[in-house]
Amino acid sequence: MPANVIMPALELAQETGKLLRWMKAPGDTVRKGEAIAEIETDKVTVELEAPASGILQQVTAQEGDVVPVGQTIAIIADSASPAPADTGRGATTLSPQGSSSATLSPQENSSATLSPQENSSATLSPQENSSATLSPLGRGQGERSDTRIKASPLARKVAQEHGVDLAHVRTATGKIEKADVLAHVESRRAAVPANGGPADRAAVAAGTPGGTIAASPKARRLAAERGIDLRALKGSGPAGAVLAIDVPEAVVTPPVIAPVPSVSEPLTLPSPWGGEGGMEEKVGTVWRVMAERMTASWTSAPHFFLVREVNVARLGAWLARARTQSGVRVTYTDLLIKLVAAAIARHPRVAASWKDGAIERHPDVNVGLAVALEDGLVVPVIHKADTLGVREIAMRREDLVARAQAGKLRPADIQGGVFTISNLGMYGVDAFSAIVNPPQAAILAVGRIADRVIPVDGHPAVQPTMVLTLSCDHRALDGARGAQFLGALADLIEEPLTLLV
Amino acid sequence: MSERELTYGEAVKEAIAEEMRRDPRVFLIGEDVAEAGHPFKTLVGLVQEFGTERVIDTPISEPGYAGIGVGAAMTGMRPVVDVMFGDFITLTMDQMVNQAAKAHYMSGGKIKVPIVFRTTLGATRRSAAQHSQSLHAWVSHIPGLKVALPSGPYEAKGLMKTAIRDDSPVVIFEDKMMYRVKGPVPEGDYTIPFGVAEVKRAGRDITIVATSSMVPVSLGAAKLLEEVGISAEVIDPRTTWPLDKETLINSAKKTSRALVVDEGYERYGVTAEIASVIAEGAFYYLDAPVKRMGAMDVPVPFSPVLEDLTVPSEQTVFEAARALCRK
Repeated sequence: MPANVIMPALELAQETGKLLRWMKAPGDTVRKGEAIAEIETDKVTVELEAPASGILQQVTAQEGDVVPVGQTIAIIADSASPAPADTGRGATTLSPQGSSSATLSPQENSSATLSPQENSSATLSPQENSSATLSPLGRGQGERSDTRIKASPLARKVAQEHGVDLAHVRTATGKIEKADVLAHVESRRAAVPANGGPADRAAVAAGTPGGTIAASPKARRLAAERGIDLRALKGSGPAGAVLAIDVPEAVVTPPVIAPVPSVSEPLTLPSPWGGEGGMEEKVGTVWRVMAERMTASWTSAPHFFLVREVNVARLGAWLARARTQSGVRVTYTDLLIKLVAAAIARHPRVAASWKDGAIERHPDVNVGLAVALEDGLVVPVIHKADTLGVREIAMRREDLVARAQAGKLRPADIQGGVFTISNLGMYGVDAFSAIVNPPQAAILAVGRIADRVIPVDGHPAVQPTMVLTLSCDHRALDGARGAQFLGALADLIEEPLTLLV
Repeated sequence: MSERELTYGEAVKEAIAEEMRRDPRVFLIGEDVAEAGHPFKTLVGLVQEFGTERVIDTPISEPGYAGIGVGAAMTGMRPVVDVMFGDFITLTMDQMVNQAAKAHYMSGGKIKVPIVFRTTLGATRRSAAQHSQSLHAWVSHIPGLKVALPSGPYEAKGLMKTAIRDDSPVVIFEDKMMYRVKGPVPEGDYTIPFGVAEVKRAGRDITIVATSSMVPVSLGAAKLLEEVGISAEVIDPRTTWPLDKETLINSAKKTSRALVVDEGYERYGVTAEIASVIAEGAFYYLDAPVKRMGAMDVPVPFSPVLEDLTVPSEQTVFEAARALCRK
């Protein structure tokens, strides 16, 4: 049975995902669980795993495409079934197009009976080319080499191996040889950071064929003027094209008008940044989504904040022991994850969402950890943290953070979080108020551990303490429940042995 | 003061007569232009007023009298050459395209060819494939020729007078189906400048650029559009060359959508040129592809039922405009 490769939904609010890169080419044999593509979701860049073993076929999403969640972007056919792709013939490719012969015109049908040599020459005909654009396999896949391009057979083979579209290889002579392909591979490697970073996006912005979004010229202009990413918009035009009406009005911040002398002459307000205005910095998807989500949360979720200072003397002792015993570099964060999970298990109402006028409870204690990236913020999740030991939490945390920073998170890594911990202690912050990470009900903001003077048995004592701030969405959590949770957490931090009780 | 109304045909005749009275160099030449007063009866009475020396009947030889006209223009006359059906301009192509259009340039400006070719366009007259074409794109293509397309009686008179006074060769295409259409035409002298489009109807949602016979059709469609809440702006370029690009582009910028309607064959036609002008000039303001509507790309059928289908109608223009507006 062929398996569909679909654009995954990685979070509740996600509607589309962007195909950054195919790591496998049509015709390639893939194993279940093997990474076949890189997908940039609203939050992160993740690797998409093959849902089954077989042969990758019918790749309909091109690199750079933004695809609705749930849409099939490729098929993995059984290895046993006759693969339409003639993978043995290198790049001269009748590949998957060949399978769609039913859609071909009579001319092409007749040419299909020709010998392979004639066949490849037949691909030069305009008919073939036009039909190719109709076939489910679009242009621009790495392996698809256009026979109109002058390339040596060896160059085609090397291009196929490296997933290079020969149309993107430029040479002085117009003829492509192996060395040209390898040079292209090198330059691509240099230009595109592993996480599909700025260079990749720049290529999209520059309008490379793979990155084109259907939008009217007016919509494009308005989006650019208003600083809106077209990829974030849902088009109402033909085939989902973005039209002007789909581009939201610019959010105009009403100028804060200090008492203005009541004069009738028109005022020329200076730019708030002075001079000719500030430097504009383009932001990536992760940053943009962070901005949008935080705005949505801050403006729709009524926040309240509970602050509590906790003594972490015992926690420090525990940390030292955990490090020696586990052989893993355990951090305070790992201990906090463990304790937060335990506190949630005792106060499961914290793991809830306000949804459509009701409270939705989440049974699994999946704790997210805010990780700062160059380009914004991601929240990888340690699933069922209440069932894990400190050692395992530390190992998972280390792996997740490393992969988050490398842009290598997988869909499962960021799904399902019910609570978030944000720790800015390492930056010397005493305490701060975080914004709830929707659709979660609460987020814990962790300040630094510092020696502070606190009363101990009626006497001032210098003890290591930490200030915790719990931000809550009042629609899903009330003050008393939030306080009970924070109290339980504080007890656990001050006396971790309570875990055993 | 009530406005005087003339038919389109009467307006053409009045323009020619006034110019012949004003300027003795103006004369009329063609088939059946004198005693017969033209098959469309547009020239009845002219030979009586101006005589057979200035209203000259010719044998059936378009290349011959077109050549006479070009020569007369080169030597100081201001001929109005009547080509009965627009289809027949194919016979005058060398005279128009290689002689009249080029002489001024190839003589270093020493020769002027102030000639007017007066001819017709328009289908649905049941005249079959050789008498129903709208070939104004052919001459609009040629540098050195100016092309006017009067869309009503007022334009018929004003553009004809401008054409006769212009020192360049002008081809003026009259809509043969409109000769009996009446409209206000001022008495006395007035001209309509070439290269100045007229906004026939202001609107917000879509620009319909319409020429000649398609102007009334598009105005009718605009009324239908209004009923569904679409405000259409209808613009008549009046001359395909010189072309008032600015007005077209500015309107498209305003409305974000444009539909170009012309009775010439759609492919490689006037609609293509105007659509291209708009697409280039208003690209970043367009919210939909610029749509063209011309005559169907077929030899015009003799069957009335089929013939009517080949030309854009109020209903088809309405539907196309509505689809562009996605309403």
